[in-house]
Amino acid sequence: MNRRPAKARATLPDRPGRGLRMVLLVGFGGLLALLLVAGGEALSALRQLHAAEQIARQNFLSRNRYLLEFRSTLDVYGNRIDEYFLSYNPDVQVSAAGDFAALARRIDKGLRAYPANRQPEEQALLDAMRKTLAEQEASLNKALSEDHRGDPEQMNRMLYKEVMPRNRQLITAVENVEVWNQHQLDAAGEMLLETFGHFQTHLTRLLLIILGSGLLLSAGSIVYIIRQDQEARRRYAELMESRNALAQLPSSLLDAQETERRSISRELHDEVGQSLGALLVDVGRLKAAIPTDNTAVHEQLAQIKETAESTVNAVRNIALLLRPSMLDDLGLVAAIEWQAREISRRSDMEVEVEAPAGVGIAENLSEDYKICIYRVAQEALNNAARHSGGHRAWVKLEQTADHIAISVRDDGRGFDTRKTRGLGLLGMEERVRRLGGKLDITSHPGGGTVLRAELPSAGRS
Amino acid sequence: MAKDTRVLLADDHRLMRRGLRLVIEQHPGLTVVGEADDGRQAVAMAESLQPEVIVMDIGMPNLNGIEAAHQISEKHPDIAIVMLSMHSDEGYVLRALRAGARAYLLKDSAEEDLTQAIEAVRDGKSFFSPAVSRVLLEDYMRKLQRAGAEDSYDLLSGREREVLQLVAEGKSSKEIASLLNLSTYTVETHRSNIMQKLNLKGIPELILYAVRKGLIS
Repeated sequence: MNRRPAKARATLPDRPGRGLRMVLLVGFGGLLALLLVAGGEALSALRQLHAAEQIARQNFLSRNRYLLEFRSTLDVYGNRIDEYFLSYNPDVQVSAAGDFAALARRIDKGLRAYPANRQPEEQALLDAMRKTLAEQEASLNKALSEDHRGDPEQMNRMLYKEVMPRNRQLITAVENVEVWNQHQLDAAGEMLLETFGHFQTHLTRLLLIILGSGLLLSAGSIVYIIRQDQEARRRYAELMESRNALAQLPSSLLDAQETERRSISRELHDEVGQSLGALLVDVGRLKAAIPTDNTAVHEQLAQIKETAESTVNAVRNIALLLRPSMLDDLGLVAAIEWQAREISRRSDMEVEVEAPAGVGIAENLSEDYKICIYRVAQEALNNAARHSGGHRAWVKLEQTADHIAISVRDDGRGFDTRKTRGLGLLGMEERVRRLGGKLDITSHPGGGTVLRAELPSAGRS
Repeated sequence: MAKDTRVLLADDHRLMRRGLRLVIEQHPGLTVVGEADDGRQAVAMAESLQPEVIVMDIGMPNLNGIEAAHQISEKHPDIAIVMLSMHSDEGYVLRALRAGARAYLLKDSAEEDLTQAIEAVRDGKSFFSPAVSRVLLEDYMRKLQRAGAEDSYDLLSGREREVLQLVAEGKSSKEIASLLNLSTYTVETHRSNIMQKLNLKGIPELILYAVRKGLIS
């Protein structure tokens, strides 16, 4: 027969979630990186905006300070000019004229100290202002040098036609710079707003991307989790299935073994044993039919008889080992007693059986129960005889309303029940368990062993 | 010339029955009146044929030999039963005795002892294959030795031993009384003392005990 080794069922199933898991891992990594980038960008943009705003404010304020000074100086300048030209008090006139140069210098000094980072437009405005100032100075100097104080008409003309308009021009120039400065500040503010707007758009876009990919990743994760869950369920189901199959195995094996044993035993006993028995009877008859003086034939017959007898014995022993016919012929108690005597005959251990009074009591059990109890007794006694080192053993059958129990006790050396769990014990446990009973082993090194199997009393047949 | 002893054969194996029949019929004074295939048929034929002796195999289908013997000896205690078995174990012997059998033969020596056994039970005696007696004795001696127990036989008086042997041989109390020149009452007393001292529960156990001790064969 061509028997190939069974294909290993344990090949690892494909991992369907594997590619997806990589994608998810990379995705989450990317998402995290994006978030970091967005955060970093937001921080730096805010810092830049803040710095730009500071600079713009600084520019405005530093200029404004000078421009305010220009204005106030120009006010004083204007007052002094008015005093010079309109006063009738010569002392006042002299005093005013004396201030002209100082005031002009103050403005000029202010113009020089004015922030150096000037824009061309600004510079032009400032230059115009300086030029007008210079012209005013020149006009005033001319007025002073010519000294028209005595000529009011001349003075008036100069004042109204030249000096006053130029002074207004100067004020206008300052105002122009002020307007420009204010404009610069406004422009900077607008620019900042615009930059902020850009940044906001950018950040919003980035956040939308993050949100979108986050949603995608979540969806992917859910898919992944569902798949994993399904996979886990499938594997659990498979596991349970194979566990059940494994649990069924010993039962079916035991059944098959018992049935097989029984049929072989019966076959041996009925066919081989009986035929040999008949043969022996025939030999006996032949022996009687042959004259006693024919010793040669008698010897041969004796030989045949001996061989047949030992064969009968061998067949009988094998049959009994497979299936004790006592169990069928005489019942459970007799079979256990026989087993006990067999052990006593073959080993150093003397076995006593204590069975309930009256032979019939345990005999209305179903076949399953009988064979279970018998095999437990057989296995336990064999174990005791082989391994315990003791010399006495006691088998006890008890039956109450709700259970039937068999216990086997020996006076051997005992063993550690936690460490020793042979196949024989497992077989017993399996037999007992499938009938809903329980098997207890009480033993400790040096203290003998008590094995007790208890079955519920459902097994009446 | 006396009438032949009527024998019924009960065995589920035709070959075996044929052999046994030939052995019996070659012996003067014995005749086979019927053959049964199984226990049920044996019970029915015992009823209809009323044989003096039934030679019965233990291992039979439907109703085994022991059950059949029970039913027959309950109804017809006068029919003597020779049990045939492949087993020398006392579990079988004791149960055969309890079922009413008076002789117990191993199948592999049946042809040698069969006629002797049939005649013994016909005469109200017991008969056991020598191999059976040997196994029973061995078991008994080993048990005594290992358990360190005293042989309860030593507890019996000489008269009790005599009574034990005669009871085991199948004699009634009345017969024993006349044999030993005792009153029936005295014999009964001896019997109950024997049962008590040997811790025996009935005649089958007593016979088994006697076989073990080699008092009867």
